[in-house]
Amino acid sequence: MTVRIVTDSSADLPVDLIQKHQITVLPCYVVVDDQTFKDGVDIQADEFYRRLQSEGRTPTTAQPTVADFQEVYRDLVRQGDQIVSIHVSGKLSGTMNSAQQAKASLDDSGNDSGQESGDGAKVEIIDSQLASIPLGLAVLDAAMLAAEGQDYLEIAAKVRELLPSYHGLFALDTLEYLQKGGRIGKARAFMGSVLHVKPILRLQDGEAHPVERPRNRDRAMRHLVELAQELAPVRRLAVIHSTDPERMETLKQGLTSLLPADQIIEARFGSTLGTYIGPDALGVAITQDSG
Amino acid sequence: MERLQGQDLKQAFSAATGCLEEYRDLVNALNVFPVPDGDTGTNMLLTMRAAVQSAGQDHSVALVSAALANGAFYGARGNSGVILSQFFKGFSQALAGKESLAGEDLALAFKLASDAAYKSVGKPVEGTMLTVIRMASEAIAASGQASPRTVLDVWETAYQASQDALDRTPQQLPVLREAGVVDAGGLGIVVLIGGVLQSLADGNPTAVDLSELSRYQVASNRDGGGPINAEYLDATVEQEWGNCTQFIISGENLDLDQVRSHFLETAQSTVVVGDDRNIRVHIHVEDTGPALTYAESLGVLSQLKIENMDSQNQTFATGHRSGENTAAALALLPVTPGDGLALLFRESGCAAVIEGGQTMNPSVGQILEAARATGAKDVIILPNNSNVVLAAEQAAGSESFIHVVPTTSIPQGVAAMLAFNPEGPWRDNLDAMNAALSNVASVEVTLGVKGVKIGGVEVAEGQYIGLLEGRLVTAEDSPETALRSALDLAGLSDDAIVTLYYGAEAQASDAESVAQILQNEFRGIQVDLINGGQPHYQYLASVE
Repeated sequence: MTVRIVTDSSADLPVDLIQKHQITVLPCYVVVDDQTFKDGVDIQADEFYRRLQSEGRTPTTAQPTVADFQEVYRDLVRQGDQIVSIHVSGKLSGTMNSAQQAKASLDDSGNDSGQESGDGAKVEIIDSQLASIPLGLAVLDAAMLAAEGQDYLEIAAKVRELLPSYHGLFALDTLEYLQKGGRIGKARAFMGSVLHVKPILRLQDGEAHPVERPRNRDRAMRHLVELAQELAPVRRLAVIHSTDPERMETLKQGLTSLLPADQIIEARFGSTLGTYIGPDALGVAITQDSG
Repeated sequence: MERLQGQDLKQAFSAATGCLEEYRDLVNALNVFPVPDGDTGTNMLLTMRAAVQSAGQDHSVALVSAALANGAFYGARGNSGVILSQFFKGFSQALAGKESLAGEDLALAFKLASDAAYKSVGKPVEGTMLTVIRMASEAIAASGQASPRTVLDVWETAYQASQDALDRTPQQLPVLREAGVVDAGGLGIVVLIGGVLQSLADGNPTAVDLSELSRYQVASNRDGGGPINAEYLDATVEQEWGNCTQFIISGENLDLDQVRSHFLETAQSTVVVGDDRNIRVHIHVEDTGPALTYAESLGVLSQLKIENMDSQNQTFATGHRSGENTAAALALLPVTPGDGLALLFRESGCAAVIEGGQTMNPSVGQILEAARATGAKDVIILPNNSNVVLAAEQAAGSESFIHVVPTTSIPQGVAAMLAFNPEGPWRDNLDAMNAALSNVASVEVTLGVKGVKIGGVEVAEGQYIGLLEGRLVTAEDSPETALRSALDLAGLSDDAIVTLYYGAEAQASDAESVAQILQNEFRGIQVDLINGGQPHYQYLASVE
């Protein structure tokens, strides 16, 4: 019996890692100019950011549907697999709802249980309280535990225990997209267009919280590195960008005191995250080493 | 008159306030620093008015002096007003429990008044109104050794001693000596003591003639004491920003009634229309996140439009807001002159702004009121002007929820604001904000108001002066050259960030050309240009 790890495309995991660890990724939906796309399937990042920055309606996102989850869970359960399904914070998206409804609708053998809230199939669903590549790091740990042959309940318990060790720091070029997309939340305190600050946000308790307001990109990157260094020792590290791979490379070089460059994961904000984080954003994700 | 009753005391200080009104321009004109903040006389006058207004009809000197002190405290404006309010505090402490006041009581009253005044400032400077108060107090103490004297005699001693002290202020304070004037606040004290004396001596042939004080007149090309407009921005302006949110949910078997009742419960101004495939939603909510998460769990969202209602008119927002207003735990409250600067602070997360600054110092009472109006558990005040710091600290001294980062200029205030994190504890914020001040050099440019020489810089009539960290460093014929020269002294480099706030009396195009020149000279320098709209100062700037 195999334990399969399922997540959604808001984890921003690079394709090579998804394939290597046999992770199942459900695409989120993104609506651009009233056309609906599957994130990373029908629309790629380059195309998305081009359209994001051109005139037009504010893009919106939608979580994978209950039917999407049913299909994935059913196929895996029928193969006899167990599932650990780890998703974007319930405070930021309704993905958790879709997953839970899908689980409840299936019985042990992957057939329609005919009820809306049964015990369901052997699926453990975890609200990661994270988003983007920090969620990706949690998914990677789950995949490693699955490879070690642990039971799905053990894996889920271990991942839940590890959740406080995942951190996400993001340096945005503007909060405009977060505001327009309706997800400004606590970062609202850092709104303001008179001074062109480059706000740094931190994932905490399932939401983005304001941290600092550096005055330009160079200082923002410097602060990002400093904030990351405060989280040492580090077990795993990822850098991520929306539209500027060169600056991500610079950021990565700045973090080599924490981990050698060849061990740092490089990722890109997909269209789901991109809807809110906007162009010219950078991020750092860290799995703290708890020893 | 042997003993003063409460109403005699009120009458005397009321008369003294009248004298201060008469001599306000004389006091204002003594302002040594050639920037347009010559309002020491006005600040003292407004503080005195507040003191006298709060003194009621009580008979005892204890109650009247306590009321004077209380009124002065809440009405105190500017550093001179704060010091004056402390004078009354000490004065009233000495009279606690007393029905009337005799000559011998005045020694203790002046002693405690002087002590309280000294304590109100962090680093007392001699050659200021503090010295004048202290010398008057010491003269009374010395004269009292001989025999019991009348109130009038003692007050006469105080008046003489205060003038002697005032005459010596230029010897104690180099900045006064250079400018060739006596201390403005000190003169204010002399006028007040003289005014009380005149009132006490009413009908007495030895009546004092205050017009002799006109010898302290200095030539000034400026009308002292302009109109005081300490009118506030409404400090109770909404803390939270509401969002007018519209979108369409598309899906299958949508339950229109359920969606409508969900939004009727969780939002305002709810309009939900449609059918089982498409539902159009219009709502007003503080936080759009939960509303969108709910909608997305039903179907696919499109045509999302979110508008910040804060920019729409205020009555609209309040009329549509639910009673529950979640005030911030920690609020930042800056003192700002000019619309552009007020906007900058407001939109960058300040709960409200207190309008004021160089020529309209907010009173302690106004600061307290604005701080309370935020409804926040803790409030950090940014005075943004050296002449407001003391009033802010006074406010903080009376309410433990008020804290002060002693910013003395707008650029410092902005630096402090950017280091502010509303989610952190106030102590951590104070540390971070104070630390941020040391990374910023503040430059101010204004028209010099008289020809003087200070700190080796000679200012000719009509020249523009550049200040660096509040010190006069340059005088030039145009505001742009003064700006450039002060910026150079602040230290420019390729990786510097210069923020330039041009004022109501400067042109955007002139500011742009200064920015352009800097960008040409320093590769990689960042120059942010902001329409500050501040009065009096053509330019404010910071270099980080």
